[in-house]
Amino acid sequence: MTFDWTTFLLEILNFLVLVWILKRFLYAPVLAVLDARRQRLLDEAAKAEQLQRQAGELKTGYESRLAQWEKEREGLRQSLDGELEQARAAGMEKLKQSLADAEAKARARTDALATAREQALVREAATEAYGAAAAMLGRLASPALTARIADVFAEDLAALPEADRAVLRRAAAALEAGASAEIAMAHDLDEGSRGRVVAALTAACDRTLPVVFREVPELLAGLRATVGECLLQANLSDELAFFRRHG
Amino acid sequence: MNTLGGQVVFRVGPLPITDTVLTTWGIVLLLALAAFVLSRRLRATPGRWQSAVEGALAAAEAAVAEVLPASAVRRVLPFVATLWLFILVANLAGLVPGLHAPTRDLSATSALALLVFASTHWYGIRAQGWRVYLRHYVEPSPILLPFHVVSEFTRTLALAVRLFGNMMSLEMAALLVLLIAGFLVPVPLLMLHVVEAVVQAYIFGMLALIYIAGALESPESPSSEEPS
Repeated sequence: MTFDWTTFLLEILNFLVLVWILKRFLYAPVLAVLDARRQRLLDEAAKAEQLQRQAGELKTGYESRLAQWEKEREGLRQSLDGELEQARAAGMEKLKQSLADAEAKARARTDALATAREQALVREAATEAYGAAAAMLGRLASPALTARIADVFAEDLAALPEADRAVLRRAAAALEAGASAEIAMAHDLDEGSRGRVVAALTAACDRTLPVVFREVPELLAGLRATVGECLLQANLSDELAFFRRHG
Repeated sequence: MNTLGGQVVFRVGPLPITDTVLTTWGIVLLLALAAFVLSRRLRATPGRWQSAVEGALAAAEAAVAEVLPASAVRRVLPFVATLWLFILVANLAGLVPGLHAPTRDLSATSALALLVFASTHWYGIRAQGWRVYLRHYVEPSPILLPFHVVSEFTRTLALAVRLFGNMMSLEMAALLVLLIAGFLVPVPLLMLHVVEAVVQAYIFGMLALIYIAGALESPESPSSEEPS
Protein backbone atom coordinates (compact mmCIF):
# COMPACT_ATOMS: atom_id res chain seq x y z
CA MET A 1 0.00 0.00 0.00
CA THR A 2 1.66 3.21 -1.18
CA PHE A 3 0.47 6.77 -1.20
CA ASP A 4 1.40 8.87 -4.19
CA TRP A 5 0.97 12.61 -3.84
CA THR A 6 0.96 13.16 -7.57
CA THR A 7 -1.85 10.67 -8.00
CA PHE A 8 -3.64 12.25 -5.05
CA LEU A 9 -3.47 15.74 -6.54
CA LEU A 10 -4.28 14.59 -10.07
CA GLU A 11 -7.27 12.66 -8.78
CA ILE A 12 -8.56 15.79 -7.07
CA LEU A 13 -8.08 17.74 -10.28
CA ASN A 14 -9.63 14.99 -12.37
CA PHE A 15 -12.69 14.81 -10.15
CA LEU A 16 -13.20 18.56 -10.14
CA VAL A 17 -12.91 18.59 -13.93
CA LEU A 18 -15.41 15.74 -14.11
CA VAL A 19 -17.83 17.60 -11.85
CA TRP A 20 -17.59 20.64 -14.07
CA ILE A 21 -18.01 18.64 -17.27
CA LEU A 22 -20.97 16.68 -15.99
CA LYS A 23 -22.58 19.78 -14.52
CA ARG A 24 -22.11 21.60 -17.82
CA PHE A 25 -23.02 18.85 -20.26
CA LEU A 26 -25.24 16.44 -18.33
CA TYR A 27 -26.88 17.76 -15.20
CA ALA A 28 -27.80 21.22 -16.42
CA PRO A 29 -29.43 20.16 -19.72
CA VAL A 30 -31.12 17.07 -18.29
CA LEU A 31 -32.41 18.98 -15.27
CA ALA A 32 -33.61 21.72 -17.60
CA VAL A 33 -35.51 19.13 -19.60
CA LEU A 34 -36.94 17.66 -16.40
CA ASP A 35 -37.90 21.10 -15.11
CA ALA A 36 -39.51 22.00 -18.41
CA ARG A 37 -41.46 18.75 -18.36
CA ARG A 38 -42.51 19.27 -14.75
CA GLN A 39 -43.51 22.83 -15.55
CA ARG A 40 -45.42 21.64 -18.58
CA LEU A 41 -47.15 19.02 -16.46
CA LEU A 42 -47.96 21.64 -13.84
CA ASP A 43 -49.23 23.98 -16.53
CA GLU A 44 -51.32 21.24 -18.07
CA ALA A 45 -52.58 20.21 -14.66
CA ALA A 46 -53.47 23.83 -13.93
CA LYS A 47 -55.06 24.10 -17.35
CA ALA A 48 -56.95 20.87 -16.77
CA GLU A 49 -58.05 22.12 -13.38
CA GLN A 50 -59.13 25.38 -14.94
CA LEU A 51 -60.97 23.49 -17.66
CA GLN A 52 -62.57 21.32 -15.02
CA ARG A 53 -63.59 24.42 -13.09
CA GLN A 54 -64.94 26.02 -16.25
CA ALA A 55 -66.73 22.79 -17.07
CA GLY A 56 -68.22 22.81 -13.59
CA GLU A 57 -69.29 26.41 -14.01
CA LEU A 58 -70.73 25.62 -17.43
CA LYS A 59 -72.49 22.61 -15.99
CA THR A 60 -73.91 24.72 -13.20
CA GLY A 61 -74.93 27.37 -15.71
CA TYR A 62 -76.52 24.81 -17.98
CA GLU A 63 -78.36 23.24 -15.08
CA SER A 64 -79.57 26.67 -14.02
CA ARG A 65 -80.63 27.44 -17.57
CA LEU A 66 -82.32 24.08 -17.85
CA ALA A 67 -84.17 24.75 -14.63
CA GLN A 68 -85.11 28.19 -15.94
CA TRP A 69 -86.23 26.69 -19.22
CA GLU A 70 -88.20 24.07 -17.35
CA LYS A 71 -89.84 26.82 -15.32
CA GLU A 72 -90.56 28.88 -18.43
CA ARG A 73 -91.88 25.79 -20.22
CA GLU A 74 -94.13 25.01 -17.28
CA GLY A 75 -95.37 28.62 -17.27
CA LEU A 76 -95.95 28.56 -21.02
CA ARG A 77 -97.67 25.22 -20.75
CA GLN A 78 -99.97 26.57 -18.05
CA SER A 79 -100.62 29.69 -20.15
CA LEU A 80 -101.31 27.51 -23.16
CA ASP A 81 -103.59 25.33 -21.09
CA GLY A 82 -105.45 28.46 -19.99
CA GLU A 83 -105.71 29.72 -23.54
CA LEU A 84 -106.85 26.32 -24.72
CA GLU A 85 -109.42 26.22 -21.94
CA GLN A 86 -110.64 29.68 -22.91
CA ALA A 87 -110.70 28.75 -26.58
CA ARG A 88 -112.51 25.54 -25.76
CA ALA A 89 -115.03 27.42 -23.62
CA ALA A 90 -115.47 30.02 -26.35
CA GLY A 91 -115.83 27.27 -28.93
CA MET A 92 -118.32 25.48 -26.77
CA GLU A 93 -120.23 28.70 -26.22
CA LYS A 94 -120.15 29.43 -29.93
CA LEU A 95 -121.22 25.89 -30.67
CA LYS A 96 -124.03 26.15 -28.17
CA GLN A 97 -125.07 29.45 -29.71
CA SER A 98 -124.85 27.94 -33.17
CA LEU A 99 -126.85 24.95 -32.02
CA ALA A 100 -129.40 27.25 -30.42
CA ASP A 101 -129.59 29.29 -33.62
CA ALA A 102 -129.89 26.19 -35.70
CA GLU A 103 -132.51 24.88 -33.32
CA ALA A 104 -134.39 28.19 -33.48
CA LYS A 105 -134.12 28.16 -37.24
CA ALA A 106 -135.28 24.59 -37.38
CA ARG A 107 -138.07 25.39 -34.97
CA ALA A 108 -139.06 28.44 -37.08
CA ARG A 109 -138.80 26.39 -40.23
CA THR A 110 -140.88 23.68 -38.62
CA ASP A 111 -143.37 26.26 -37.42
CA ALA A 112 -143.46 27.84 -40.85
CA LEU A 113 -143.89 24.45 -42.44
CA ALA A 114 -146.58 23.60 -39.93
CA THR A 115 -148.26 26.94 -40.53
CA ALA A 116 -148.00 26.53 -44.27
CA ARG A 117 -149.25 22.99 -43.99
CA GLU A 118 -152.06 24.18 -41.73
CA GLN A 119 -152.87 26.93 -44.17
CA ALA A 120 -152.73 24.48 -47.02
CA LEU A 121 -154.98 22.18 -45.06
CA VAL A 122 -157.27 25.11 -44.34
CA ARG A 123 -157.26 26.06 -47.98
CA GLU A 124 -157.80 22.48 -48.98
CA ALA A 125 -160.57 22.23 -46.40
CA ALA A 126 -162.06 25.50 -47.63
CA THR A 127 -161.80 24.29 -51.21
CA GLU A 128 -163.38 21.02 -50.29
CA ALA A 129 -166.00 22.88 -48.23
CA TYR A 130 -166.59 25.23 -51.12
CA GLY A 131 -166.90 22.30 -53.44
CA ALA A 132 -169.25 20.56 -51.03
CA ALA A 133 -171.23 23.77 -50.42
CA ALA A 134 -171.34 24.51 -54.11
CA ALA A 135 -172.53 20.98 -54.82
CA MET A 136 -175.14 21.18 -52.10
CA LEU A 137 -176.22 24.73 -53.08
CA GLY A 138 -176.21 23.65 -56.70
CA ARG A 139 -178.68 20.96 -55.78
CA LEU A 140 -180.73 23.49 -53.76
CA ALA A 141 -180.62 26.16 -56.48
CA SER A 142 -183.92 26.72 -58.24
CA PRO A 143 -185.81 29.46 -60.08
CA ALA A 144 -187.85 30.08 -56.92
CA LEU A 145 -184.60 30.70 -54.98
CA THR A 146 -183.44 33.05 -57.72
CA ALA A 147 -186.77 34.91 -57.52
CA ARG A 148 -186.53 35.05 -53.77
CA ILE A 149 -182.94 36.39 -53.96
CA ALA A 150 -184.16 38.98 -56.50
CA ASP A 151 -186.73 40.16 -53.98
CA VAL A 152 -184.09 40.31 -51.24
CA PHE A 153 -181.82 42.22 -53.72
CA ALA A 154 -184.58 44.73 -54.26
CA GLU A 155 -185.11 45.14 -50.53
CA ASP A 156 -181.40 45.61 -49.87
CA LEU A 157 -181.13 48.21 -52.63
CA ALA A 158 -183.89 50.13 -50.96
CA ALA A 159 -182.03 49.97 -47.65
CA LEU A 160 -178.61 50.78 -49.18
CA PRO A 161 -176.53 53.24 -47.08
CA GLU A 162 -176.30 56.75 -48.44
CA ALA A 163 -172.58 56.49 -49.15
CA ASP A 164 -173.07 53.35 -51.24
CA ARG A 165 -176.05 54.90 -52.88
CA ALA A 166 -173.95 57.94 -53.85
CA VAL A 167 -171.31 55.75 -55.38
CA LEU A 168 -173.98 53.90 -57.29
CA ARG A 169 -175.48 57.14 -58.53
CA ARG A 170 -172.13 58.39 -59.75
CA ALA A 171 -171.57 55.11 -61.62
CA ALA A 172 -175.00 55.38 -63.16
CA ALA A 173 -174.39 59.00 -64.13
CA ALA A 174 -171.10 58.02 -65.70
CA LEU A 175 -172.79 55.66 -68.08
CA GLU A 176 -172.47 56.82 -71.66
CA ALA A 177 -175.50 57.57 -73.63
CA GLY A 178 -177.02 54.43 -74.99
CA ALA A 179 -175.26 52.22 -72.43
CA SER A 180 -177.36 50.05 -70.16
CA ALA A 181 -177.13 48.29 -66.89
CA GLU A 182 -176.75 44.54 -67.10
CA ILE A 183 -178.38 42.03 -64.83
CA ALA A 184 -177.12 38.47 -65.02
CA MET A 185 -179.45 35.90 -63.48
CA ALA A 186 -179.05 32.22 -62.75
CA HIS A 187 -182.66 31.45 -63.77
CA ASP A 188 -185.01 33.35 -65.87
CA LEU A 189 -187.11 35.70 -63.70
CA ASP A 190 -190.71 36.44 -64.25
CA GLU A 191 -191.84 39.89 -65.23
CA GLY A 192 -192.92 40.79 -61.70
CA SER A 193 -189.54 39.99 -60.25
CA ARG A 194 -187.77 41.76 -63.13
CA GLY A 195 -190.02 44.80 -62.55
CA ARG A 196 -189.24 44.94 -58.83
CA VAL A 197 -185.56 44.67 -59.46
CA VAL A 198 -185.57 47.39 -62.12
CA ALA A 199 -187.67 49.60 -59.85
CA ALA A 200 -185.34 49.17 -56.92
CA LEU A 201 -182.33 49.84 -59.15
CA THR A 202 -183.94 52.96 -60.61
CA ALA A 203 -184.73 54.21 -57.11
CA ALA A 204 -181.20 53.55 -55.90
CA CYS A 205 -179.60 55.27 -58.90
CA ASP A 206 -182.13 58.01 -58.79
CA ARG A 207 -182.68 57.72 -62.55
CA THR A 208 -184.21 55.42 -65.08
CA LEU A 209 -181.67 53.11 -66.64
CA PRO A 210 -182.07 50.78 -69.62
CA VAL A 211 -181.62 47.27 -68.19
CA VAL A 212 -180.59 44.17 -70.08
CA PHE A 213 -181.34 40.74 -68.50
CA ARG A 214 -179.10 37.82 -69.33
CA GLU A 215 -179.22 34.28 -68.01
CA VAL A 216 -175.95 32.92 -66.55
CA PRO A 217 -176.33 29.42 -65.01
CA GLU A 218 -172.86 29.58 -63.34
CA LEU A 219 -174.35 31.92 -60.75
CA LEU A 220 -176.24 28.88 -59.28
CA ALA A 221 -179.00 31.05 -57.86
CA GLY A 222 -179.63 34.80 -57.63
CA LEU A 223 -178.36 37.62 -59.84
CA ARG A 224 -175.50 40.02 -60.50
CA ALA A 225 -176.11 43.63 -61.48
CA THR A 226 -173.50 45.69 -63.30
CA VAL A 227 -173.99 49.49 -63.37
CA GLY A 228 -171.01 51.09 -64.98
CA GLU A 229 -168.13 50.49 -62.73
CA CYS A 230 -170.32 49.23 -59.87
CA LEU A 231 -170.93 45.54 -59.42
CA LEU A 232 -173.82 44.42 -57.23
CA GLN A 233 -173.61 40.72 -56.36
CA ALA A 234 -176.52 38.73 -54.97
CA ASN A 235 -175.94 35.14 -56.04
CA LEU A 236 -174.62 31.93 -54.49
CA SER A 237 -171.64 31.59 -56.78
CA ASP A 238 -170.16 34.98 -55.86
CA GLU A 239 -170.85 34.38 -52.18
CA LEU A 240 -169.06 31.03 -52.31
CA ALA A 241 -166.14 32.64 -54.11
CA PHE A 242 -166.00 35.33 -51.45
CA PHE A 243 -165.90 32.77 -48.69
CA ARG A 244 -163.30 30.79 -50.53
CA ARG A 245 -161.09 33.86 -50.96
CA HIS A 246 -161.41 34.89 -47.34
CA GLY A 247 -161.68 31.44 -45.80
CA MET B 1 3.13 -6.87 -9.38
CA ASN B 2 2.00 -4.33 -6.82
CA THR B 3 -1.81 -4.38 -6.65
CA LEU B 4 -2.09 -2.29 -3.52
CA GLY B 5 -1.24 0.96 -5.25
CA GLY B 6 -0.90 2.56 -8.62
CA GLN B 7 1.93 1.62 -10.87
CA VAL B 8 3.84 4.34 -12.63
CA VAL B 9 3.18 4.04 -16.34
CA PHE B 10 5.15 7.03 -17.51
CA ARG B 11 6.44 10.30 -16.25
CA VAL B 12 5.73 13.86 -17.28
CA GLY B 13 8.89 15.56 -16.19
CA PRO B 14 9.25 14.87 -12.51
CA LEU B 15 5.61 13.82 -12.17
CA PRO B 16 4.91 10.09 -12.22
CA ILE B 17 1.67 9.15 -14.00
CA THR B 18 0.22 5.99 -12.51
CA ASP B 19 -2.28 3.58 -14.02
CA THR B 20 -4.79 4.93 -11.48
CA VAL B 21 -4.55 8.38 -13.07
CA LEU B 22 -4.64 6.95 -16.56
CA THR B 23 -7.78 4.92 -15.77
CA THR B 24 -9.33 7.97 -14.17
CA TRP B 25 -8.61 10.00 -17.27
CA GLY B 26 -10.21 7.31 -19.34
CA ILE B 27 -13.29 7.32 -17.10
CA VAL B 28 -13.49 11.09 -17.20
CA LEU B 29 -13.17 11.04 -20.97
CA LEU B 30 -15.78 8.32 -21.31
CA LEU B 31 -18.27 10.10 -19.05
CA ALA B 32 -17.61 13.45 -20.72
CA LEU B 33 -18.19 11.96 -24.15
CA ALA B 34 -21.34 10.23 -23.00
CA ALA B 35 -22.62 13.43 -21.40
CA PHE B 36 -21.78 15.45 -24.50
CA VAL B 37 -23.46 13.01 -26.87
CA LEU B 38 -26.51 12.70 -24.65
CA SER B 39 -26.88 16.44 -24.19
CA ARG B 40 -26.90 16.85 -28.00
CA ARG B 41 -29.83 14.45 -28.31
CA LEU B 42 -32.17 15.65 -25.59
CA ARG B 43 -35.79 15.69 -26.73
CA ALA B 44 -39.05 16.69 -25.09
CA THR B 45 -40.24 13.13 -25.69
CA PRO B 46 -37.36 11.06 -24.30
CA GLY B 47 -35.90 8.00 -25.94
CA ARG B 48 -34.61 4.91 -24.16
CA TRP B 49 -31.19 6.30 -23.13
CA GLN B 50 -32.57 9.70 -22.23
CA SER B 51 -35.27 8.07 -20.11
CA ALA B 52 -32.63 6.04 -18.27
CA VAL B 53 -30.45 9.07 -17.60
CA GLU B 54 -33.43 11.20 -16.59
CA GLY B 55 -34.62 8.44 -14.26
CA ALA B 56 -31.19 8.09 -12.66
CA LEU B 57 -30.79 11.83 -12.22
CA ALA B 58 -34.34 12.20 -10.87
CA ALA B 59 -33.64 9.38 -8.38
CA ALA B 60 -30.41 11.07 -7.30
CA GLU B 61 -32.21 14.38 -6.92
CA ALA B 62 -34.95 12.73 -4.86
CA ALA B 63 -32.33 11.08 -2.62
CA VAL B 64 -30.58 14.40 -2.10
CA ALA B 65 -33.89 16.16 -1.51
CA GLU B 66 -34.78 13.70 1.23
CA VAL B 67 -31.74 14.81 3.21
CA LEU B 68 -31.09 18.41 2.28
CA PRO B 69 -33.24 21.53 2.39
CA ALA B 70 -34.96 22.22 -0.91
CA SER B 71 -32.92 25.36 -1.48
CA ALA B 72 -29.64 23.42 -1.35
CA VAL B 73 -30.58 20.44 -3.48
CA ARG B 74 -29.61 21.82 -6.87
CA ARG B 75 -26.39 23.28 -5.40
CA VAL B 76 -25.17 20.01 -3.90
CA LEU B 77 -26.61 17.60 -6.48
CA PRO B 78 -23.77 17.90 -9.05
CA PHE B 79 -21.10 17.05 -6.49
CA VAL B 80 -22.93 14.12 -4.90
CA ALA B 81 -24.21 12.73 -8.19
CA THR B 82 -20.71 12.90 -9.66
CA LEU B 83 -19.39 11.08 -6.62
CA TRP B 84 -21.93 8.30 -7.15
CA LEU B 85 -21.33 8.08 -10.87
CA PHE B 86 -17.54 8.29 -10.76
CA ILE B 87 -17.08 5.83 -7.91
CA LEU B 88 -19.53 3.38 -9.52
CA VAL B 89 -17.69 3.49 -12.87
CA ALA B 90 -14.31 3.45 -11.18
CA ASN B 91 -15.30 0.43 -9.10
CA LEU B 92 -16.65 -1.40 -12.15
CA ALA B 93 -13.51 -0.57 -14.14
CA GLY B 94 -11.77 -3.32 -12.22
CA LEU B 95 -13.91 -5.85 -14.08
CA VAL B 96 -12.32 -4.87 -17.41
CA PRO B 97 -9.38 -7.17 -18.14
CA GLY B 98 -6.05 -5.34 -17.91
CA LEU B 99 -7.49 -2.49 -15.86
CA HIS B 100 -7.54 -1.84 -12.14
CA ALA B 101 -10.22 0.05 -10.29
CA PRO B 102 -8.85 3.52 -9.40
CA THR B 103 -10.64 3.14 -6.06
CA ARG B 104 -8.32 0.31 -5.04
CA ASP B 105 -5.64 3.04 -4.80
CA LEU B 106 -5.55 4.84 -1.44
CA SER B 107 -4.28 7.97 -3.19
CA ALA B 108 -7.48 8.15 -5.21
CA THR B 109 -9.87 7.39 -2.36
CA SER B 110 -8.03 9.87 -0.14
CA ALA B 111 -8.45 12.50 -2.83
CA LEU B 112 -12.19 11.81 -2.94
CA ALA B 113 -12.42 11.86 0.87
CA LEU B 114 -10.54 15.15 0.97
CA LEU B 115 -12.92 16.59 -1.57
CA VAL B 116 -15.87 15.50 0.60
CA PHE B 117 -14.18 17.06 3.62
CA ALA B 118 -13.59 20.32 1.77
CA SER B 119 -17.04 20.40 0.18
CA THR B 120 -18.69 19.88 3.56
CA HIS B 121 -17.11 23.01 4.93
CA TRP B 122 -17.56 24.86 1.66
CA TYR B 123 -21.30 24.29 1.52
CA GLY B 124 -21.67 24.90 5.27
CA ILE B 125 -19.82 28.20 5.20
CA ARG B 126 -21.66 29.31 2.04
CA ALA B 127 -24.99 28.53 3.61
CA GLN B 128 -24.43 29.92 7.11
CA GLY B 129 -21.37 32.14 7.06
CA TRP B 130 -18.10 31.72 8.94
CA ARG B 131 -19.31 32.58 12.38
CA VAL B 132 -22.44 30.52 12.47
CA TYR B 133 -20.77 27.58 10.82
CA LEU B 134 -17.77 27.49 13.13
CA ARG B 135 -19.96 27.97 16.16
CA HIS B 136 -21.37 24.46 15.78
CA TYR B 137 -17.95 23.09 16.79
CA VAL B 138 -18.44 24.50 20.27
CA GLU B 139 -22.03 23.43 20.58
CA PRO B 140 -23.52 22.41 22.90
CA SER B 141 -20.31 22.92 24.93
CA PRO B 142 -16.80 24.15 24.05
CA ILE B 143 -15.46 21.03 25.71
CA LEU B 144 -16.67 19.09 22.69
CA LEU B 145 -14.47 21.08 20.28
CA PRO B 146 -11.61 18.54 20.25
CA PHE B 147 -14.03 15.73 19.68
CA HIS B 148 -15.64 17.58 16.78
CA VAL B 149 -12.25 18.24 15.21
CA VAL B 150 -11.12 14.67 15.67
CA SER B 151 -14.45 13.49 14.27
CA GLU B 152 -13.94 15.59 11.15
CA PHE B 153 -10.60 13.97 10.42
CA THR B 154 -11.49 10.45 11.42
CA ARG B 155 -14.64 10.31 9.34
CA THR B 156 -12.71 11.61 6.35
CA LEU B 157 -10.05 9.03 6.95
CA ALA B 158 -12.75 6.39 7.36
CA LEU B 159 -14.28 7.38 4.03
CA ALA B 160 -10.99 6.96 2.25
CA VAL B 161 -9.96 3.74 3.95
CA ARG B 162 -13.40 2.11 3.71
CA LEU B 163 -13.62 2.49 -0.03
CA PHE B 164 -9.97 1.65 -0.55
CA GLY B 165 -10.12 -1.40 1.72
CA ASN B 166 -13.24 -2.84 0.19
CA MET B 167 -12.18 -2.46 -3.41
CA MET B 168 -8.59 -3.46 -2.80
CA SER B 169 -9.60 -6.57 -0.89
CA LEU B 170 -12.14 -7.47 -3.55
CA GLU B 171 -9.56 -7.22 -6.33
CA MET B 172 -7.03 -9.09 -4.22
CA ALA B 173 -9.50 -11.89 -3.52
CA ALA B 174 -10.47 -12.12 -7.17
CA LEU B 175 -6.79 -12.28 -8.16
CA LEU B 176 -6.03 -14.98 -5.62
CA VAL B 177 -9.03 -17.08 -6.65
CA LEU B 178 -8.11 -16.67 -10.28
CA LEU B 179 -4.54 -17.77 -9.55
CA ILE B 180 -5.59 -20.75 -7.49
CA ALA B 181 -8.77 -22.05 -9.13
CA GLY B 182 -8.42 -21.01 -12.72
CA PHE B 183 -10.85 -20.24 -15.48
CA LEU B 184 -14.57 -19.48 -14.71
CA VAL B 185 -14.22 -20.09 -10.99
CA PRO B 186 -13.90 -16.34 -10.11
CA VAL B 187 -17.19 -15.56 -11.96
CA PRO B 188 -19.30 -15.55 -8.76
CA LEU B 189 -16.68 -13.34 -7.19
CA LEU B 190 -16.90 -10.98 -10.15
CA MET B 191 -20.68 -10.82 -9.66
CA LEU B 192 -20.02 -9.97 -6.03
CA HIS B 193 -17.67 -7.31 -7.36
CA VAL B 194 -20.56 -5.70 -9.25
CA VAL B 195 -22.74 -5.67 -6.16
CA GLU B 196 -19.92 -4.38 -4.02
CA ALA B 197 -19.17 -1.65 -6.55
CA VAL B 198 -22.74 -0.41 -6.43
CA VAL B 199 -22.97 -0.63 -2.65
CA GLN B 200 -19.67 1.14 -2.02
CA ALA B 201 -20.53 3.93 -4.42
CA TYR B 202 -23.89 4.37 -2.74
CA ILE B 203 -22.38 4.34 0.76
CA PHE B 204 -19.65 6.83 -0.14
CA GLY B 205 -22.10 9.21 -1.75
CA MET B 206 -24.69 8.89 1.01
CA LEU B 207 -22.09 9.53 3.71
CA ALA B 208 -20.87 12.58 1.82
CA LEU B 209 -24.47 13.73 1.52
CA ILE B 210 -25.09 13.25 5.24
CA TYR B 211 -21.91 15.14 6.14
CA ILE B 212 -22.95 18.02 3.89
CA ALA B 213 -26.45 17.99 5.37
CA GLY B 214 -24.91 18.16 8.85
CA ALA B 215 -22.87 21.15 7.79
CA LEU B 216 -25.94 22.88 6.35
CA GLU B 217 -27.93 22.54 9.57
CA SER B 218 -27.91 25.75 11.60
CA PRO B 219 -26.90 25.21 15.26
CA GLU B 220 -29.39 27.89 16.36
CA SER B 221 -32.40 26.42 14.62
CA PRO B 222 -31.65 22.86 13.68
CA SER B 223 -35.11 22.28 12.29
CA SER B 224 -35.46 25.63 10.58
CA GLU B 225 -35.10 24.03 7.18
CA GLU B 226 -36.99 20.83 6.86
CA PRO B 227 -35.69 18.32 4.33
CA SER B 228 -38.00 18.26 1.39
